[in-house]
Amino acid sequence: MADWTPLGDRAIRFARPDRSARALVRAVRAWPGVVDVVVARSEVAAYFDGAPRIAPEQLRALATAPDDPTPVRDHELRAVYNGPDLDDVAQATGRHPDDVRALHAAATYTVETMGFSPGFAYMVGLSPALELPRRTTPRTRVPAGSIAIAGLQTAVYPFDSPGGWHLIGSVVGVRMFGTDGPLLQLGDRVRFVP
Amino acid sequence: MSFVVARALGLVTVQDLGRPGWMHEAVPPGGALVRDRLIAANRAVANPDGAPAIEVLGELVIHAERALEVATDTAAARTLAAGDELIVASEPRRVAYLAIRGGIAAPLMFGGHSALLCAGLGGLIRAGQRFDSAALAPVAPPRASTASPSSPRAQRSADPPIRLPAPPPIQLVDGPDPESFTPEALSVLLSSEYRILPSSNRVGTRLDGPALPRTGAPEVSRPMVIGAIEVPRDGKPIVLGPEHPTTGGYPIVAVVASADLGRLFSIRPGGTVRFTR
Repeated sequence: MADWTPLGDRAIRFARPDRSARALVRAVRAWPGVVDVVVARSEVAAYFDGAPRIAPEQLRALATAPDDPTPVRDHELRAVYNGPDLDDVAQATGRHPDDVRALHAAATYTVETMGFSPGFAYMVGLSPALELPRRTTPRTRVPAGSIAIAGLQTAVYPFDSPGGWHLIGSVVGVRMFGTDGPLLQLGDRVRFVP
Repeated sequence: MSFVVARALGLVTVQDLGRPGWMHEAVPPGGALVRDRLIAANRAVANPDGAPAIEVLGELVIHAERALEVATDTAAARTLAAGDELIVASEPRRVAYLAIRGGIAAPLMFGGHSALLCAGLGGLIRAGQRFDSAALAPVAPPRASTASPSSPRAQRSADPPIRLPAPPPIQLVDGPDPESFTPEALSVLLSSEYRILPSSNRVGTRLDGPALPRTGAPEVSRPMVIGAIEVPRDGKPIVLGPEHPTTGGYPIVAVVASADLGRLFSIRPGGTVRFTR
């Protein structure tokens, strides 16, 4: 079994070493010829400026990649918990909607991976009391700014898009993706403030 | 201003060579759908390869408001006089590029000038919009011979009559998810003709043709790449374009060789394509 799989002729994909996304991005970007990195939940892709040049030692070294020393950023996002799925989530978890609000707002979340749409941050740290599978039928349009939960993760949709997560509220007074790029980055800590 | 847009039909945007380096924040590279053609148009007016130009998937009509040196990816540079009209149509291909000398002046957004529609950067160009050259290089007035006496003021851009021979098939690299496809899937892909669907855009080029059978392997959100041929449950392949999501759950049956991406993305909707490995 190879250590990595070609992802076309200019990228490779490999199993994610047990390191933070920040550490992996930093380490892989330092490889010669790498122009981009994507860290997903269980796989990593490295994108090169030409044919991939990769030595087995480089991959092995990722298992001990040091954490990114740049300080983690903290965000407080103003939240209104009035999402269309709030009552359904309360019912499915056997709680009062006020408990759902309180549980979601009590936690501090960490951006674990990014994907799906520009600036979409998968945040971990959701209370297991709110764990639910995705909706059986995804929505064709979720409004930008929606606060959503699924599994043990939460997220804020940066743009209007389709989506299958449970919508429990929305952020106010902030754009998740502006002309400077995404508000949230890998490793950032986020609190929601009602 | 240099010119005003009289009409814009379809997907008409400012493009350059994109914003590589931000995929870890879920921002795809973006940039021109067919990079070589953007570069060709820029070189024809002595611009740097990556200068902002206008990408046309449809039709664009501009009115010059002053003397202006322009080029498309299929025609040599020419000088428009104030008042001249220029029509840039992507037919019979899928996409055309209009470059002006000095580059299109477009705001710097997140380190680039190109529209990235999926990120709300830039947007579709619309009638009435005015554009300027980024560097207002003086342009010599048009020579008398530029417009032939019989031609009206409007000039069509793409010119040589096109009788394209059957192009060689598009080269593929095997995909990374063989467990998600039955053994026949790849042979179906390699032995069939697929048609480019009109629903194609800068995110993905949708293909119509024989469905590619999948196994029951679960869908896992994984890193994506431009040129990846992803296959939803209906078996109809989608080739990811420059605005593709950086992660996705549909398995990848094969990836288009980078050297053939431009050729594939140049085929207009309704046209057909064959693949080889």
